[in-house]
Amino acid sequence: MIEIRNVSKKFKKGWYALKNIDLSIAKGDFLFLTGQTGCGKTTLLRLIYMDIFPDEGEVAVAGFLSTTIKEEEIPFLRRRIGIIFQDFKLLRDKTVYENVAFALEVTGQSGRKMREKVMKALTLVGLSHKRNDFPYTLSGGEQQKTAIARALVREPFILLADEPTGNIDPEGSEEIIRILQDVNTAGTAVLMATHDVDLAKRMGGKFLQLEQGQIKKK
Amino acid sequence: MTFIAIGIMFFSLFLLGAFLWGTFNLFGVINLAREKVEINAFLRENLPQKQVEELSEKLMSMVGVERVEYVSKEEALGKFQEEIKDAPSLIEAVKTNPLPASFSIKLKDGFTSPEKVEEVSSKIKIFDEFIAVEYGESWIKRLDRVVKILFLFDMLLGIVISFASVFVVSNTIRLTVLARKRTIEVMKLVGATEKTIHAPFILAGAIEGGIAAALSGGLLYLIYQISSKFFVEFYFPHDYIIAGTIFFGVILGIIGSKLAVKTTSKEMKFESPNV
Repeated sequence: MIEIRNVSKKFKKGWYALKNIDLSIAKGDFLFLTGQTGCGKTTLLRLIYMDIFPDEGEVAVAGFLSTTIKEEEIPFLRRRIGIIFQDFKLLRDKTVYENVAFALEVTGQSGRKMREKVMKALTLVGLSHKRNDFPYTLSGGEQQKTAIARALVREPFILLADEPTGNIDPEGSEEIIRILQDVNTAGTAVLMATHDVDLAKRMGGKFLQLEQGQIKKK
Repeated sequence: MTFIAIGIMFFSLFLLGAFLWGTFNLFGVINLAREKVEINAFLRENLPQKQVEELSEKLMSMVGVERVEYVSKEEALGKFQEEIKDAPSLIEAVKTNPLPASFSIKLKDGFTSPEKVEEVSSKIKIFDEFIAVEYGESWIKRLDRVVKILFLFDMLLGIVISFASVFVVSNTIRLTVLARKRTIEVMKLVGATEKTIHAPFILAGAIEGGIAAALSGGLLYLIYQISSKFFVEFYFPHDYIIAGTIFFGVILGIIGSKLAVKTTSKEMKFESPNV
């Protein structure tokens, strides 16, 4: 479903953020992407959701190729991917429910079907009782759960998580990872970038270690 | 933030509207001056009435001629006496009528440039019945030069004001767009198309432009009313100025917000503390 073929990405002055990366992620995989800050984890995720493009090689995601995709096709690729970040990226003036529903509304969905999908996603992360709360009244863990519900409401085939536990206490972090594991069990692939190797080891699962833009350990 | 955007647009549109109003008045004055352009063809003495009538018809059928007016010797003298009425000694000196009869020829719009007037008058000169054909050559040339300079200056000013308005308005709207940066970011994240992202900003821009235009059109009208009452009565074509300002306002709002949201959306990469 995701094929990364001999991909390199250069930033300023020829400095390689990623070099000769080969990676394939199949349906139902759960993969930790570990490595120190600055090793290229975020760059790899951005290449997958095509916020940036490789200088060499090719990224293939759900039939879209980084070498041929048109700008107006990128939204349709993003609709098939769920993405969560360290800083949650929630809208402060919307409630938990509205934040999740927003992901469907902007693509023209509404009505009972939409409400059902939103409630299902909120139930999955255990936040249905807080649906009318605003993000600033929630803990970091709850905010991240809202972001996960928003990412899942479209039923993506993969969930990309960029340091999802970076702003959350250890207890909350494990809860978030358990939710991601549940999501994975239900059939969605998960690619989670984290600098916390211990956490990744503790939670089990495959991991991929990046060092200075290159894959060190699979 | 919306109020600031409307305020800036109001000011820009007021300038544009005032410019439009000024242009209408400028061209009004130019048209008045152009209407005064005419050719005077002076007739030989004692031509039979029939010949004069035939000549009048021939002149009427010429290209570019709008109206032909016959001025008899008596009318010419009457006009002359009217012009010099402040100098009675001159009137007394004129015992007989030395003035010839003439045709006063008005030209159509588009035939008042120096070249065209010259062309028509040289055709009139061919007729033997005339002793002289005059059209105030130097005055027409000067008028033409002034009109060209004014027109060029007016166009340049219009272009500068229009571009400055779009630039200022776009940058102001950009602030309102940046204030909603997170919303745009999330929309991009969940797969909204550029059209969906742009639409609310463009709609808001059009509405804000319309409101700003209505306010500036109202202010211009108020200034016109006050100046007519207490100072000079300007020419104020309501329809053109009000409709023009509102049209510019909505367009300005749309272009301004489109530019602003496009630039912001293009520049935006998902901000993340990680690499």
